[in-house]
Amino acid sequence: MELSSKKKYLQIAFNRNLDEVISMVEQLPCSPNIILEAGTPFVKKYGINGISTIKETRENICQTKAYIVADLKTMDRGEREVKEAKKAGASAVTCLGTAPIETIDAFLESCEKYKIDGAIDMLGVKFPFEVLQKLKKMPKIIILHLGVDERRNNREKIIPYHQINRIKGTYGKVLIAIAGGENPKDVLRAFFNDADIAIIWEKIYQNPKRIKEITLEFLKNIKK
Amino acid sequence: MKKEENKLSQKEFEKYKAKYQALLRFTIVFFSFGFFFPGFFLISLFLFILMIKTVPPEVRTRIIAEMEKSQQKTKTSRKENHLEPVLANQAQNNRLVFVEREPKKISVYDSYLESLRTEGPRIEKRQRYLHIALNSTLKEARKIISKIPTRKNIILEVGTPLIKTYGEDAISQIKYWTEGLYILADAKTSDLAEREVKMAKDAGASGITCLGTAPIETIDAFLESCEKYKIDSFLDMMNIENPLLVLKKLKKIPKVVMLHRGVDETEKNKEKVIPYYQIKQIKGSYNTLIAVAGGDTEREIQSAIFNDADIVVLWKDFYKYSPKTPERITKLLKKINKRESSLEIKTSYSLEYSGL
Repeated sequence: MELSSKKKYLQIAFNRNLDEVISMVEQLPCSPNIILEAGTPFVKKYGINGISTIKETRENICQTKAYIVADLKTMDRGEREVKEAKKAGASAVTCLGTAPIETIDAFLESCEKYKIDGAIDMLGVKFPFEVLQKLKKMPKIIILHLGVDERRNNREKIIPYHQINRIKGTYGKVLIAIAGGENPKDVLRAFFNDADIAIIWEKIYQNPKRIKEITLEFLKNIKK
Repeated sequence: MKKEENKLSQKEFEKYKAKYQALLRFTIVFFSFGFFFPGFFLISLFLFILMIKTVPPEVRTRIIAEMEKSQQKTKTSRKENHLEPVLANQAQNNRLVFVEREPKKISVYDSYLESLRTEGPRIEKRQRYLHIALNSTLKEARKIISKIPTRKNIILEVGTPLIKTYGEDAISQIKYWTEGLYILADAKTSDLAEREVKMAKDAGASGITCLGTAPIETIDAFLESCEKYKIDSFLDMMNIENPLLVLKKLKKIPKVVMLHRGVDETEKNKEKVIPYYQIKQIKGSYNTLIAVAGGDTEREIQSAIFNDADIVVLWKDFYKYSPKTPERITKLLKKINKRESSLEIKTSYSLEYSGL
């Protein structure tokens, strides 16, 4: 499965225990607009095995190829982490925008080598352009991210929707993902501002049993 | 005469021996009393003559020779005991463990859980540490761990690649293999700080790292939860030009600040230098320990120590096990702390015998 720039996607991140995550994935509706993500705490807890179990359960249920994002948040050793993600069967890996430029370059290069989508997570980056200017290659996905701790402890910080069109205007082909909005309204706003992917996790994390209703509610906002 | 003496039966010899020994003891006792009351000298003299008269000289030499032999035996047996105290102790421990464990039916898994519950050591000030980062695979890590001595001044880091590939099991597994060593989880937290700190603590780590480039709110939450869960906080200043600017914004101060040059940076860009001058800058204004990571050459280790770094982080020599590894560790330990022999941790068993 490959992402196209004409579609809109809803990315759901899983961060609970392995058993709960498996049952949550089983309940998810089989829409082609849904992307699954193995969250950072989840990966750190279960390793790459966690990624491959998510992929297997999703593919078993929907009988189509699943798109799994491994949220590794690479900070160093770009090639090594991409290799591990590929081994687990992920379709995309994330790298931190605050990582050294050499690491991001190595990361994007090895993403091309292993044929996996590279995503750069702009968590903690004030001006994404400053990072993007220095890179040799462009990533497939750029994630504009408002951290959970930031959102909880600092009400003044907002998701930088205004950056979406600026980045798309200069770099064209990139897909933009928005993370940090948790309501259907936020997702709608993201898509309205021309984002391609909206990432949600907290609502589902809080009520894992209502996952189907919640995702259907979010999916309403996506034009097919 | 001689033939007769040689033909003496064992029983008679034993009798003579008992008599001789008893009389010898009495003479010695009375002789020593003689120092207080001179009359006892006479008695001891009388006993001595009696001893010589009752026991024939040939028998006497035989007795003396035998006594000397037995004395030598006791000496040598004592020496043997000195030679193998560890083995003896270990055997004892094993037996104790065995006796205790059999009725309760504690499995290997339970002892594994026990090792997780035991609190690891915490970092101390005024101590210089050797920080060994394990990054390749658990198999390789196990080989290296078996050669690491149990010292107070060693920090064993479970690297980010290990955590990401094996999950938190990597931390607990390594903790189980190394009894009593300091275990640092290099989680490189960048969001959801409290969850990751809790995970590291549950897995049995004594310290956890957080990225300095993470949002300030995350670092604050990280430091707070480190205090809450009683675990040492390491702030990794990778890709930060001026660490003081980050430290200024924080509500609390991390226990250790790591000045870090990444692997990709080191390999692809030879112009980047580790800013050793910042060690004294940070130490001057904040009460923290400083770790220096990314410099693996002999020269860089030397300059880190010279510039007053508290923790020297190394990974290149410990990525893959080679026969030179144990030698390298002892050399490094000597370089980092001259009185290192006093820092041995007393554990119930030594790693060399633990079957690793």
